[in-house]
Amino acid sequence: MMNRPAGEQALTGARGWAKYRVGDFSLDVEWEAEAGEVLTLFGPSGAGKTTILRAIAGLVKPQEGRVEIGGRTVFDSKTGLWEPPHKRRIGLLTQNYHLFPNLSVSENIAYGLSGLDSTSRRERVTELVESFQLDELEERRPHEISGGQQQRAALARALAPGPSLMLLDEPFNSLDVELRRALRSELRASIISAGIPAIMVTHDIEEAISMGDSVQVINDGRVEAAGRPLEILGQPGQGRVARLIGVENLLDLAVASLHPQDGTMVCSAGEAGLRLEVPLSDVRRDEEVTVGIRASDIILAHTEPVGSSARNRIAGVVSGVQLRPPGYEVTLQCPGVQLKCHITGTSLNEMGVKQGDELWAVFKASSCFLVRDQG
Amino acid sequence: MRTFVANLGPWNPVGSAATAIYCLFICLPVAALLFKAVQQGNLLESALSETALLALRLSLVTSAISMVLVILVGTPFARLLARNRSLPMRIIDQLVELPIILPPVVAGVAMLLAFGRQGVLGPCLSALGISLPFTAGAVVFAQVFVAAPFYIRSAKLGFMAVPKEYEDISQTLGVSPLRTFFRLVVPLAAPSLLTGIALAWARALSEFGATIMFAGNLTGKTQTMPLAIMSAMESSLDTAVALSVMLLIGALAILTALTILTRNNWRSAP
Repeated sequence: MMNRPAGEQALTGARGWAKYRVGDFSLDVEWEAEAGEVLTLFGPSGAGKTTILRAIAGLVKPQEGRVEIGGRTVFDSKTGLWEPPHKRRIGLLTQNYHLFPNLSVSENIAYGLSGLDSTSRRERVTELVESFQLDELEERRPHEISGGQQQRAALARALAPGPSLMLLDEPFNSLDVELRRALRSELRASIISAGIPAIMVTHDIEEAISMGDSVQVINDGRVEAAGRPLEILGQPGQGRVARLIGVENLLDLAVASLHPQDGTMVCSAGEAGLRLEVPLSDVRRDEEVTVGIRASDIILAHTEPVGSSARNRIAGVVSGVQLRPPGYEVTLQCPGVQLKCHITGTSLNEMGVKQGDELWAVFKASSCFLVRDQG
Repeated sequence: MRTFVANLGPWNPVGSAATAIYCLFICLPVAALLFKAVQQGNLLESALSETALLALRLSLVTSAISMVLVILVGTPFARLLARNRSLPMRIIDQLVELPIILPPVVAGVAMLLAFGRQGVLGPCLSALGISLPFTAGAVVFAQVFVAAPFYIRSAKLGFMAVPKEYEDISQTLGVSPLRTFFRLVVPLAAPSLLTGIALAWARALSEFGATIMFAGNLTGKTQTMPLAIMSAMESSLDTAVALSVMLLIGALAILTALTILTRNNWRSAP
């Protein structure tokens, strides 16, 4: 072996294949995830996604297959090698987190650290409690903390023993939609900073696209497609997919008036709220609609750009500026709604945008698209 | 707002009347027993008689041994019943309850036919120099036979209520299945296990029919508390009352301990 700087771990991925038959169901898949990358397994329920995770973890034994984790082979049907789950060094995050209800948050995190002496165990727990922002919650029982906090505690518990692979089984399922979006990047960052590969199961295309470095579409126990998320799942130009890719602005509005001659209609957020011109659609007056606008489709201006062809010009006050690589996300408080706009760092500096500024958000009617909530 | 519907609330008349009748039905005999005990005055004297002390000691020792046996065999068995829901195991699951519905006297006769000198295993046992009937060993056999189902049933339900995912996660955290069982499953199922122990212990202490058939009623050897009470009734009511009060106190102690032990803060979680 080559000399490796002290403390640096071998960053190796996870790969394998499995053939597993039980009853009428048969699974025939292979997978590969690099260290520091997330592979998402996307597909409908019953497609066999969770079974793949269970086979990797050793919780089911495929009839044929090979599982390699961090350069170690833990299962090989050809040689009869089989390591039980507790020797595989795997972190598992389930959809309900399954924090042990009889233990406190810190006891949960310490659960997998029984190999350490009590001092190092305490240090490790403290370190994880801090990095996962669970301070003040250490002594609480799992049912006494919120869903998002439970997710962080479960992730801290899974990462505590230093696993070589992280398995995530629908980790956002028990959270509401707002929280899902907020926690997605947080979860991804934690996994990537652990420097290990992760395999995540989801039936949500938006999650598959926003979490995965690569994606596999699983259907009926087979890999139907594999590759980069947007290549596989994104079809630009189709409104439905655009929404699913994660549209930053989804506004709940009511149809105020229809203008068939322009091919547009006006939607408003209450009496005093903003009015948006959006492409005409097959709706009635007063019908409630959801309008989506990509944050990158909004232009910010200091003064009202009169004489522009953009139909929507809305004044607002900057209520927040956040770094959002590669640029910044500016939150604009407009009458009745908030708008999120993405601009580059250069624009931010040239315009000198800061909190409290009055700015105009400008965008074309055709940048808006309608999403009817059909559940 | 008072409506007729409100009358069907917590204090509806039918429920209240039924509660009153039932409580009276249970409390009156207990009160009568305690009243008689206080009235006779020489309670302690009767309770400390040699026969009574021998019976008490035998009851405590045999029921404690029975409980150890029930827990040692019943726990892994209940665990398998909870996890393996195949057809053969479901049939076995039904058979577990048989001793609960079987009259204890019948159980005693059946045990004699199985383990007695003329019984199925009789020749084997006597070849080993073991004679079971009419010994303290037979008392334990009888207690285990009638009491074990109460523990096994309660433990099985407790194990079934522990989601498999907890064990999966425990194993991925590097804890072997056996250690997972003791570190996680047993604490999670503890309320049910303790309930089962209390029920089985109470049943073992009160065991009468199977014991008298299989073990007999020999003072100091196989005469447990319930048998001593029956024998005392023939000669001295005072001794019978004293022994009864002792058993009653024992039962109440078990009930109280059970309530305290199973009061668990995470179980009450929504």
